[in-house]
Amino acid sequence: MSEIALAADFAIIVVVATTVGLVARQTGQPTIIAYILTGLILGPVMFGIVTEEGLVESMAELGLGFLLFLLGMKMRFEDIREILRPIVNIAVWQTILQTALALAVAWALGFDPTEIVVIALATVFGATPIIVKILTDKDEITSLPGKIDVGVLIVQDIYLVVVLALLGADELGSASEIATTLAVIAVMMAFIGLFSIASSRYLLPGLFRRIADDKDVFLVVAIAWAFLFIAVSEQFDLSLEVGAFLAGISIAQLPYSTELEDRITPITDFFILVFFASIGLRLEAGDLLAYWLEAIVASVVLMIGNFWIMFYLIDREEFSVETSFLGAVNMVQVSEFSLVVGALAVSREFIGTEVLGYLSLMALLTMSVSTYIINYNHAIYDRVKPWFSRFESEEKGDVDLEKYSNHAIAIGYDEITERALPILEDEYGEVVIIDRRTDHIDALAEADRYEYIYGDFRHGEIRKEANLKGASFVLSSTVQPDVNRALLDEVSDETTVFVEAERIDDARDLYDRGAAYVVMSTHLTGEKLSEYVEQYFTDRDAFRSSIEADIDRIQQRVNGETPRRLSRTQSGGDDDD
Amino acid sequence: MTELITTLAVVFITAGLFLLIANQLSLSPIPFFLVAGLVTGRFIEDPELVELAQWGIAFLVFTFGFRTDFGSVEGVIRDAETAAVTQLVVVGPIAFAVATLFGYGVENAVYFAVAATLSSTIVGARELEQEIRNNLVYGRLASSVHLFDDLLAIGLIVVLSADQYTTTIVTSKIGFGVIFLLAALLVYRHGFPLLVRLAGGSDELVMMGSISILIAFIAGAEFADVSIVVGAFAAGIAVRGDDVSSIGVRNGIASIRDFFVAIFFVTLGALVSIPSVEVLVVAATLAVLVLFVNPLVLMIAFVFEGYDARTAFFASTSLNQVSELSLVVAIQAWLLGTITEALFDAIILAAAATMILTSVARRYEEPVYRSIVGRILEERQTQKIDDRSYVESDLTDHIVIVGYGRQGRRLVETCERLDPEYVVVENDPVLWDDMRAECENYVFGDAMSRYPLEKARIGAAALVVSTVDHRPLSEALLEIETDADLVLRTETSVEAHELLDSDVTYVSVPNVLASDQLSDTVEAVVRGELDEADARAEHLETLETLERYKLDARFGNR
Repeated sequence: MSEIALAADFAIIVVVATTVGLVARQTGQPTIIAYILTGLILGPVMFGIVTEEGLVESMAELGLGFLLFLLGMKMRFEDIREILRPIVNIAVWQTILQTALALAVAWALGFDPTEIVVIALATVFGATPIIVKILTDKDEITSLPGKIDVGVLIVQDIYLVVVLALLGADELGSASEIATTLAVIAVMMAFIGLFSIASSRYLLPGLFRRIADDKDVFLVVAIAWAFLFIAVSEQFDLSLEVGAFLAGISIAQLPYSTELEDRITPITDFFILVFFASIGLRLEAGDLLAYWLEAIVASVVLMIGNFWIMFYLIDREEFSVETSFLGAVNMVQVSEFSLVVGALAVSREFIGTEVLGYLSLMALLTMSVSTYIINYNHAIYDRVKPWFSRFESEEKGDVDLEKYSNHAIAIGYDEITERALPILEDEYGEVVIIDRRTDHIDALAEADRYEYIYGDFRHGEIRKEANLKGASFVLSSTVQPDVNRALLDEVSDETTVFVEAERIDDARDLYDRGAAYVVMSTHLTGEKLSEYVEQYFTDRDAFRSSIEADIDRIQQRVNGETPRRLSRTQSGGDDDD
Repeated sequence: MTELITTLAVVFITAGLFLLIANQLSLSPIPFFLVAGLVTGRFIEDPELVELAQWGIAFLVFTFGFRTDFGSVEGVIRDAETAAVTQLVVVGPIAFAVATLFGYGVENAVYFAVAATLSSTIVGARELEQEIRNNLVYGRLASSVHLFDDLLAIGLIVVLSADQYTTTIVTSKIGFGVIFLLAALLVYRHGFPLLVRLAGGSDELVMMGSISILIAFIAGAEFADVSIVVGAFAAGIAVRGDDVSSIGVRNGIASIRDFFVAIFFVTLGALVSIPSVEVLVVAATLAVLVLFVNPLVLMIAFVFEGYDARTAFFASTSLNQVSELSLVVAIQAWLLGTITEALFDAIILAAAATMILTSVARRYEEPVYRSIVGRILEERQTQKIDDRSYVESDLTDHIVIVGYGRQGRRLVETCERLDPEYVVVENDPVLWDDMRAECENYVFGDAMSRYPLEKARIGAAALVVSTVDHRPLSEALLEIETDADLVLRTETSVEAHELLDSDVTYVSVPNVLASDQLSDTVEAVVRGELDEADARAEHLETLETLERYKLDARFGNR
């Protein structure tokens, strides 16, 4: 159609990355590794067909922005409130000790001073995407070790943002300059941070409440919000990442954040692929292998060292030995953020590309090994348990985490589900309602009786948050067959599921898939109406008394405790596509 | 920060602000994207932005490809055939003639005609959401025409992507189009299932795989020198999957699409320069054609085909906006350099204007219909209603059943069994044959008009039962002078309560009935008083009975 081929480089990266990703999937490796490898394959290391310029560079930057935005959005302080104090302790000391270890290793390997600093700063982090992804797949993300890891990662993210801001600054010649820069960054971040907190308190709740029901507007305004922060931090000479991260935090505390997270994640997945590939693209074969021996040595030392540091720190907070072991063993790898930091340091010319190659090689090695470690963390613990039992003591024990289990879930808060909720509450103790209409959520917040989650049931994050897999009873008042099918597919076999259907074929299909009962309001009404009509012509008195009973119930509903105008929930949400 | 990121910041921040306005006014976001583009205009002159905008086109058509329910195409063609013929034979040529009067050559006149004829699915579906859900005839009719228009647009884009119009080139374009569709079917059958299997449950990989298929098809299209739209559409067909995992994937692709589509529309707006008088005149003419001429012609066609006046009017007035795919045609022509700058600007301005006006106009449709259109048309339709109805002339103390959907059928069945006399009133031509075959007395007409109800002898009836959940209809029935008992239907108990204050005998609220049954069953199940397997078997048996009586009609939600 035109000379402009749809950004050929970009397109090639996506296709190759997907192919490599599919191959990696067969060996159980995470996609990040596949994406970095893609960069190496397409870049100067192997074929050299794609360069990291123009659109690719912008897309990579965009990916990083979205990643940080998403990361900020995940910072719900509510989630880690119960274990906040131990987590902060662990995270702070972990950062200090691991930085020290990384410094020592880099020094011992003979890097020059600037490189040592960058390497030390870069290798502190745990790889959030890998840990979160694998633990989620294993259903361990909300277990205690999972929560500790995620909590530590969140605190690390703040540290990361400071490091990024620091590396983005102009003057880093001497110690005093660094100190000044740090102070300036702190002030600016505090300023934008305050704005972010103030807006999350005063501006955003009203704004998002108004737009959350309109899914097109919701997404674009949220992206606009991120870009607004990016533009502001640009004005303050802070990096794009800092702005995106703070924009995310300001949204995180809203009830709509999980829903938004689910909409931003695919966009992030799409662009971050380009970012990781672009890291591979920057490296020459010589760069990657320049320090291959050092990388292997450092990987081994850091993996073992990091494990013991984390184990010691978690253990010190008097969690059980198993928790400490699992929490520590999940965090042994070098993060993709080492590449983010490294890439930034290369562009500021603090380090050469061969050091980035060293960091990349370390990331690749530790990530691929740790994938297996996390996957088999329990099996490993069972093996080494006898030896680790020496750390056991009376005082140690795990805190109980609040988590929904054996609970009832209602999808949609409307006239259909409303009356069944008290029964479910009696039976199961806890009722969690998923609804994607802000007015319903407001009504729930006001009634303050049931737990609720704002969001579209179609979205995985929402289902996870409600712990669908652990539910005993699920009641769905959506008639969208695809939503109900997905529901029946995901629940465990013991769960009792009630769903609604509009068509007989759908009802039959849902029964086949294991529904306990399918409500069909149209047919039900047809049946009732024809009964009434029959009475009307055969026994007028019976007709009068039947409808009076019905009318009474309608009046009662309206005059009931919470008069609301609850129309049919599109709880599954309208089709997003 | 690269320059493109700065540009995107401008694009999204402006778009965000305008969308807040759109949200405040409950209007479709698309025209506001265009307006945001008009405002930012020259700030964002970035060739890379046009590249991203093309991704927007690709994703727009891609999702259209995998969303379209081809099972419904038969029904769509039946519904939309009149509109289709009318558009192609009447509206298109009128617009073409107008464009020629402006002095445009054949090519530009065709672009003008396309913009004047096709209407927008995205805007229309949003406006008609409630009607489509309640399955009102005009909602279904309008959405059928929208779907037809979309398919027509894709076909037109194939032909219009030729840079010369010799038979060989045009045929070869069509040939490539067919090849792409065949390739898509092949991938759909074998490639995509393989991808899903290899991805091993990772939504991210299935999503990236789907996008890779999109890229491959687009690359193929560019290689064959046909429009990327064809490639994107074919790719959409290739990745249709009905399995459960595709929900997450579809949502993911929809998010990415929304991101790029926003860029597309804003960029489109930004490409418009400050309009000259000529541009404004052309845009205004186009807007008049879209807003008035097109609906008028379509309405006449619908009436002619046998729809009642109200359905014809409301269906045709929801088709009065420029289609987003006409914008794709325009930008494609712009990239090819075959459209004049003035016409391009005019089409985009007219699109923004009509997309906003169509929503605004809908708020005044009811009074316009009542005071003008209804008066003119309804009087003329009595003959047609007589022809298509059968009511015994001495009917008294009978029951009038409004709506012949599932509830209506059930009531008819009861009446047949018990034998009180009854009349069914229904305005959906699709149901007419069944109604004629199954019902003793029936009126084919709109229950909101006076004549069909008179025809049903509502004045002499004992009972009127409406199975239609549509507030205006309920109110119209309340206004009728009759001693008959009146049973209405609403969605919520609050609405029912409001109606019960007036002279209504009973209001059926399916939600309340369902809720009662549900809470009883839930109670029985959790207390262990009801055996799940028994309940299931019993329910399945009931369903079978319903089916035997054909009570689960394909059409009608009532």
